[in-house]
Amino acid sequence: MDYIINAQNITKDFDGFKAVDGLSLQVKKGEVFGFLGPNGAGKTTSINMIVGLLKPTSGQILINGEDVQKIDKGLIGICPQELVLWDNLTCKESLTLIGDMYEVPKKILKQRVNKLLKDLLLTYKADTVVTKLSGGMKRRLNLALALVHEPEIIVLDEPSEGLDPQSKRVLWNYIKSLRDDEGKTVILTTHLMDEADKLSNRVAIIDHGQLIRLDTPENLKKEIGEGDVVEMKLSKPQMNNEIIKSLKSIQNILSVVEVDGVINLRAMDAVSKLPKIMDKVESAGVQIADISVRQNTLEDVFIELTGSSLRE
Amino acid sequence: MKFLSIAIKDLKEILRDRRGFFFILLFPMLFMLVFGFAFGGMGGNTPHNLAVINYDQGSVLPNNQSVNFGNNLTQILENAKYPNSNVYVFNVTQPSESNADQQLKQRKIDAELIIPQNFSQASVSLINNTISSTTNTPSASSSNITSTLIIRGDTGYINFGTTQGILTGILSQYKDEIVIDTQNNVRGTPGAQPTEYLNSKVEPIAGTGDYTTFDYLAPGMIVFAIILLATTVAASLTREVDKGTLARLKLSKMRGFDLLFGGLIPWSLVVVAQVIILLAVAIIIGFHWQGGLNSILLAILVGVIGGIASISLAMIIAAFAKNDRQAANLGTLITVPTSFLVGAFFPLPQEPIGTFMGQSFQIYDFIPWTHTLNALRSVLTYGGGWNDISFQVGISVLLTIILFVIGVALFSRTRLRAES
Ligand SMILES: Nc1ncnc2c1ncn2[C@@H]1O[C@H](COP(=O)(O)OP(=O)(O)O)[C@@H](O)[C@H]1O
Ligand SMILES: [Mg+2]
Repeated sequence: MDYIINAQNITKDFDGFKAVDGLSLQVKKGEVFGFLGPNGAGKTTSINMIVGLLKPTSGQILINGEDVQKIDKGLIGICPQELVLWDNLTCKESLTLIGDMYEVPKKILKQRVNKLLKDLLLTYKADTVVTKLSGGMKRRLNLALALVHEPEIIVLDEPSEGLDPQSKRVLWNYIKSLRDDEGKTVILTTHLMDEADKLSNRVAIIDHGQLIRLDTPENLKKEIGEGDVVEMKLSKPQMNNEIIKSLKSIQNILSVVEVDGVINLRAMDAVSKLPKIMDKVESAGVQIADISVRQNTLEDVFIELTGSSLRE
Repeated sequence: MKFLSIAIKDLKEILRDRRGFFFILLFPMLFMLVFGFAFGGMGGNTPHNLAVINYDQGSVLPNNQSVNFGNNLTQILENAKYPNSNVYVFNVTQPSESNADQQLKQRKIDAELIIPQNFSQASVSLINNTISSTTNTPSASSSNITSTLIIRGDTGYINFGTTQGILTGILSQYKDEIVIDTQNNVRGTPGAQPTEYLNSKVEPIAGTGDYTTFDYLAPGMIVFAIILLATTVAASLTREVDKGTLARLKLSKMRGFDLLFGGLIPWSLVVVAQVIILLAVAIIIGFHWQGGLNSILLAILVGVIGGIASISLAMIIAAFAKNDRQAANLGTLITVPTSFLVGAFFPLPQEPIGTFMGQSFQIYDFIPWTHTLNALRSVLTYGGGWNDISFQVGISVLLTIILFVIGVALFSRTRLRAES
């Protein structure tokens, strides 16, 4: 098998606290590999070890079969979780600086910088200093900086954090094109289920620094459950059980349960089912006091997988 | 040429961070102003206690008149008055040399001027040379005799500093006037032998009389600015670590050399700006600058060496500080006492602990900026040249190299390797 990254039993110990605990995984060349886990699971720590910024307490990381401290520096590009930018440089200056640091020839660098600015919709801000960019622009620049030297492996640590839905789509399409059009290997950490689902060829779920599952999204979903979650509070909570029974008769409803007096309904494409749901409730002569629809979150997955809720 | 990219990046960051940039320049400027107004009036218009030890044996002028320039100089010093005032510049006494040394130690006198045996001979040879170069007739006795006037005193005593400053000014003016006077005499009576050269040479010396304590202290403000720079550089290095931009650079092909050498260049330029601007401010508020253009170049050289020492100190601070606030605090905690130790604000008592190459050594002499200050004072206040500061510059280069090596080693070890 053609593994580009091979992490063997890596552990990171911060003064007796194991942030990463005996993690072993292999990443295939040309795949998008998702790291899924709640905040504090050890995703960033794992990634920092994989790219060679942090030394593992024990274990070894091989890139193309070679120790990560010895590999060619141009092989990896990382987009860190936090914005890591020079406040007083412009977009173009930042990209050119990093290009210079990777010894990209001047002429090629100029073209690349312009293309990146264009691809990430930053061309009109090319000469604006970082402090004057919007949050989304900073995020995109943060990503662009990982790509100037066209690395083989691209590591993205929670890239969609703080992005509006539209920018998120742009980002996701871009990540897909990195894999599909340019044949790059992408490692992606996220605590969003749908992000891991839509982008990754394979997903590693980690918590407490340990690998819980590693599989394709399809396989994981079969096991864990899918869909959106509708949460509903009724004007007459004593009617909850009766309503739950009638809701279950709607087609394609995955599950309906009561959690702390709130009806919790899981369904594919829940929004399209809202009229039917409201119909059922109102025909029973009950009013909806409060209703919300959200995506199936990691929380839901976690409750199913580990039997405990997410820590924050 | 990755270090050049880093240098340009650092320079842009420095110039665009207006607040930080102003802090670097304005803060020391404020000190300069305060010191200027506090000490600019001090020391002036009071007689300085000066012991003159005159060993001059006299000589004979080309017209066979016998002269003693040592006596003449002594008389000038005795009679010199502050401009527009009846107060004498010096209170001149003529004790024996050993007596004078004793009085120096007890600070009964501020300085001691030793006029050597051949002072008149040297002056006569200066006159002969001036005549022959003015009339273009080669003179038989146009050999150059040099004699060295010695100004002796306690370098840790402010009064010595001011007295020395005034004396230096008077002495160079004295020499200039001998030449000008001779030239005038020769030109005024073409063909005839000049008669008397120094008949009416006893006159007050303008300009240097109002020398003040500030003239002694001003170079200290420049040194303070240079030392303080360590705080700013440390904060900027730490910010790079703390914000993670250093991690970005570490992952690239950049080497430690590129980062640190690249950083030296723009910060050295900042030092150049500091030296020039602070000197200008000092002159505006009454600093009696005795050096010429040459002294600015020397001051810049000396300043940049001191600046590199500050950058080295900054690397040491940045090796330990966790964020830029901590770096700034730690930096202040180190740079302010260091400024006191090198005597940037007022001279410290002399406690020699040994001698090296004929110069006695103090504890402070192990701090590079002590020599920065000595050298700056030498060129700016006393109008000294390269020969007067080469020793100080040599020592400060040596100490700076040591500090730099320590800084690079510590910073590389803690910040430029993969974290563990
Ligand atoms: N430098 C550090 N020192 C001590 N503890 C750390 C350090 N970095 C991370 N941790 C701890 O390790 C755990 C995992 O952190 P992290 O890898 O950032 O999680 P994630 O990226 O999954 O949110 C957290 O509990 C965090 O507090
Ligand atoms: Mg993280």
